[in-house]
Amino acid sequence: MKISKTEVEKLAKLAKLSFSDEELERFTAEFDEIIAFADTINQSIEGGTEQIRSVGARMVSFDDLRPDEVVPSLPNEKILSNVEGYNGFFGLERSKK
Amino acid sequence: MRTGISELAKRLQSREISAMELTKAYIGAIEKLNPTINAYVYLTFDTAMKAAEKADQRLKEGGAPLLCGIPMALKDNICTDGLNTTCCSKILKGFKPYYDATVWEKLKAHGAVLLGKTNMDEFAMGSTSETSCYGAPLNPRNTNYVTGGSSGGSAAAVCANLAVYSLGSDTGGSIRQPASFCGVVGLKPTYGAVSRYGLIAYGSSLDQIGPMTNSVKDAAIVFDAIKGGDRRDQTSVDYDYGSSLAECLDRDVKGMRIGVAEEFFDGINPEIKSKIEEAIKLFERNGAVIENIRLPALKLALPVYYIIACAEASSNLGRYDGIRYGYRTSSYTSIEDMIVKTRSEGFGDEVKRRIMLGTYVLSSGYYDAYYKKACLIREEINREFDAVFEKCDVLVAPTAPNTAFPLNYKGAGPVEMYLSDICTVPVNIAGVPAISVPCGEDSNGLPVGMQIIGKKFDEATVLQAAHFYEQSAGEVIGVYEGGARI
Repeated sequence: MKISKTEVEKLAKLAKLSFSDEELERFTAEFDEIIAFADTINQSIEGGTEQIRSVGARMVSFDDLRPDEVVPSLPNEKILSNVEGYNGFFGLERSKK
Repeated sequence: MRTGISELAKRLQSREISAMELTKAYIGAIEKLNPTINAYVYLTFDTAMKAAEKADQRLKEGGAPLLCGIPMALKDNICTDGLNTTCCSKILKGFKPYYDATVWEKLKAHGAVLLGKTNMDEFAMGSTSETSCYGAPLNPRNTNYVTGGSSGGSAAAVCANLAVYSLGSDTGGSIRQPASFCGVVGLKPTYGAVSRYGLIAYGSSLDQIGPMTNSVKDAAIVFDAIKGGDRRDQTSVDYDYGSSLAECLDRDVKGMRIGVAEEFFDGINPEIKSKIEEAIKLFERNGAVIENIRLPALKLALPVYYIIACAEASSNLGRYDGIRYGYRTSSYTSIEDMIVKTRSEGFGDEVKRRIMLGTYVLSSGYYDAYYKKACLIREEINREFDAVFEKCDVLVAPTAPNTAFPLNYKGAGPVEMYLSDICTVPVNIAGVPAISVPCGEDSNGLPVGMQIIGKKFDEATVLQAAHFYEQSAGEVIGVYEGGARI
């Protein structure tokens, strides 16, 4: 399967990433190779409509969930400690006039 | 032979040495070697000395746990309250978490002394640790070679004796492969055996924290301290291991059923293959029963792993938007523009590749063909492992198809690098435990690693088999002599 630059750009938009023209060129070539590698799962085992269970799902019994209790959460000043806060909120520059 | 945790604990408890003296010695070694090795990306010497002082107080009072006063290191994706945790990514540079990961909380309660945070591939995505935004750590066994990855700094720190032990994380081999490349021991516990609360997520159905040490016994001691369920990680299980695994290591392998699957040996470097075969013969000479088994679905393990891990990564890394923490672009015209620019400037190429692959396999029209199919094949791989463990107690395999790569080795491109994870990813897909133990050297003097894989929550047998091998072959292969060779 050959992936086009337009498809890579569309994916980038979904992933909230952007590429310069030079990056896009390189990335499209690499991505083509990566998709060909991912395609190797279609080698021999045919997927059916069988129920998907992940390893995690199997480890946790849904009959045994903990009660939905309110527990103490972190204080605002701690949560805001990694960015410039504004009156207890996350601050951003004004981007609309 | 490097002094192990039990011996150090004995000396600390008898007050032959103090935790402060021991910590100072490690700080001195780090100051001397870290500028070359680059194992640590963030040093916490002040907090280490304070922790050592507290440990000394506790040791003086008596009854302190084994890990009290022992200097150690944490991979840079394990959250430490108030101390930098960046996943070696520009997007998290300067990030100081406001809570401790459960594993760190537990080790702190044991009196652990944290020397610093260790280098790694950005967001644990890589096999060489070269995608770190701080530059690659160097392999202490030969500084022209990589440490492996993604827990490369944790492996290098232990190998060069810049920490007594470290913690790494393993999503597709990130503890075991660097352990193999640096000639140390690395244990990936069963999925669910150790809480991942506070581990910065990559592939949540695969990620697991585990110890990296100089001996199997040390790995068992650290695992004993960090294992257990946690209400803050709903995938963790409070499994009853019965007793301390470190105290049950002395068991011979007589009658132990050891499985050998030919699929693990396809395309392996012949030197590595012959080392593992020698080890299998050693087990056999000592009474183990060798079973030749088949795991046919293993040939699909690599694409299954990359599809599932990247799908989960694309979702997990959606949180880096520049709003709540980490890097934020300097100029933007709208919130959307800010998020896209922040992510594009903050993430490195490998992370972008994996986010893009994850986005692709989850996108409408491709979900069934890739993600759903990968989940179905994952079930098949699980079934195969379950069936094999009806007949075997453990499996023995190489940890990696090759020894350490030279620095800056790019191979034929990203896919060739992905292929080097062939021996380790099936273990994460199946959620079973596995250890990598040193198994001699290749003709270039680079360490070879042997992997011992066990049943879910049967770390005990995995550790016993590894300990037996280490005790029986350790003197011959001599990998514990010296560690760093620089």
